[in-house]
Amino acid sequence: MRKTFKIGILYSTTGPYAAIGRECRDGAQFAIEQCARVLPGLVEPVFVDPQGNMNDYVEGARAMLRDVGCRHIIGTITSAARKEIIPVVEKHDGLLWYTCPYEGFEANANVIYTGACPNQHLVPMFDYLLPRFGKRPYLVGANYVWGWEMNRLARELINAASGEVLGERCLPFEETVVDRLIADIERTHPSFVLNNLIGPSSYAFLAAMRDLGERNPAFKPEHCPVVSCDLSECELDDLGPQGGIGQLAAACYFDSLATDDNRAFKLVFAEKFGPERRISNFFAGAFASVKLCIEAIHSAGTDEPLAVRHQLYSMTSATVLGPIHIDSATHHAALPFHLGRINDARGFDIIASLPAVNADPYLTGQRNNRRPQLRVVS
Amino acid sequence: MRQTPNFSGWRAILLHRNDSNTERLTRQLRLLGFSVEASFAPLGAGNLPDLVLVDADQGWDELLPWSGAENAACPVVALLGSEAPSRIAWAMNVGAGAIIAKPLAASAVYPALVMAIAIHEERKAGRERVEQFEERIRMRPLVHGAVKSLMASRNLSEEDAYAVLRSNAMRRRLPLESMAASFLAGTESLPEVG
Repeated sequence: MRKTFKIGILYSTTGPYAAIGRECRDGAQFAIEQCARVLPGLVEPVFVDPQGNMNDYVEGARAMLRDVGCRHIIGTITSAARKEIIPVVEKHDGLLWYTCPYEGFEANANVIYTGACPNQHLVPMFDYLLPRFGKRPYLVGANYVWGWEMNRLARELINAASGEVLGERCLPFEETVVDRLIADIERTHPSFVLNNLIGPSSYAFLAAMRDLGERNPAFKPEHCPVVSCDLSECELDDLGPQGGIGQLAAACYFDSLATDDNRAFKLVFAEKFGPERRISNFFAGAFASVKLCIEAIHSAGTDEPLAVRHQLYSMTSATVLGPIHIDSATHHAALPFHLGRINDARGFDIIASLPAVNADPYLTGQRNNRRPQLRVVS
Repeated sequence: MRQTPNFSGWRAILLHRNDSNTERLTRQLRLLGFSVEASFAPLGAGNLPDLVLVDADQGWDELLPWSGAENAACPVVALLGSEAPSRIAWAMNVGAGAIIAKPLAASAVYPALVMAIAIHEERKAGRERVEQFEERIRMRPLVHGAVKSLMASRNLSEEDAYAVLRSNAMRRRLPLESMAASFLAGTESLPEVG
């Protein structure tokens, strides 16, 4: 009998990231179920829910690697949690699959990154926004590395374009009182607002921006959009009625993607999750990563991380995000870029796209390489 | 930090015997854009790279062509497993601006490089400022001489003579000392009013 390989699935489904965590866990689990139809008995999931507790991430990862015999862990949403478990993964020579968009500046040999880094989300998004809305944004972020680094990068891009940052505010993690922030935005009247807030904070901010737009039409999304790099279908229900409509978000996947692969995927998805639920890039990313992991284990004939890594470098996998390849130097996936506008049907209309962009986590090519041109859809 | 540090096209020399630490280090350096040469032999003064990473556990005095942090000709990062004060002192003496602990964590590399390079630049700028000040102190007697001469020739108080000299220096955007030297050499005549 062939050995069954265990894959750890480490996501929190409570706390400020609950919606994203559930989406990632569902995507990973769904991939394992789907792959089992083709490769029955090859892999078996091991679930741990650290409930947003940092120590439980570390303990969960350790138990998976040391006690259960996992060599692969799909998991973590925040950079803080990822940084916590990397030493454990290194120590046990495992492989961590990180599937969320993040702020870059990391490329660990024991991690496979299938979430977008800034040259795959922020940079092409600014390429789109600056000529259309102007070079005088307002930057908003959570008091956390995602907010700090995204705002720093935004400032660098704006300086390089001879623009001006009109204001920058960081809010505590679960802050939902945004009156002063909104007043400052109304006073400074920026070209657009970069939103790096997270969870309830972000929902409160988007709701308040909608109210501001109703009071003062100059702040409606068509004049002064709020743009995000981590807002997805799975959080739109939290924005309240009419919340967020017209605002923009960058992602490597949207539910509305008009490809044959995506249409087929949505049919299979609806059988399990129903026709109402939308698929986010978090679900699709976790799904694609687990599928890639299983395919690599199958081809390598072992779950031994070094063998799986070498298998990954030489393969391109067809996924719902499009064909995915992992770069042997950076361990990051090349990913497509899409810019979506929130519509009134709890989804995004895709307004611009780029074919797969190679990841440049340390932005080493930024100043030398010319960037490809955006394809604007509407 | 206004600009993302970019090491594309930089040359690093790694003075360390090959092991799993240097393997991991070389991987990180390459993906940051460095070309990496590894050897564990003295670095020639004519072969200076943009960055030196040196084994501070096993390194000896002739490994680098300088001694004393102030003489470091390029940014230095020390790789250190030992906690012995003598080895920490050795790392400081070769001008290390940052330490990467062994066994090496991949996440320690980029921060150490950014910091070592910034510290090297800061030291260089500090050294240049000290040199400028030293030069000005050396020329200070000329200011004294020029003030004395102005007091005598124009019947000015010491304060007024100094003010004339100073406002002329400012107008010509010269250090006070250079202005005084020109005046004493007779190549500049100073207008009456500053």
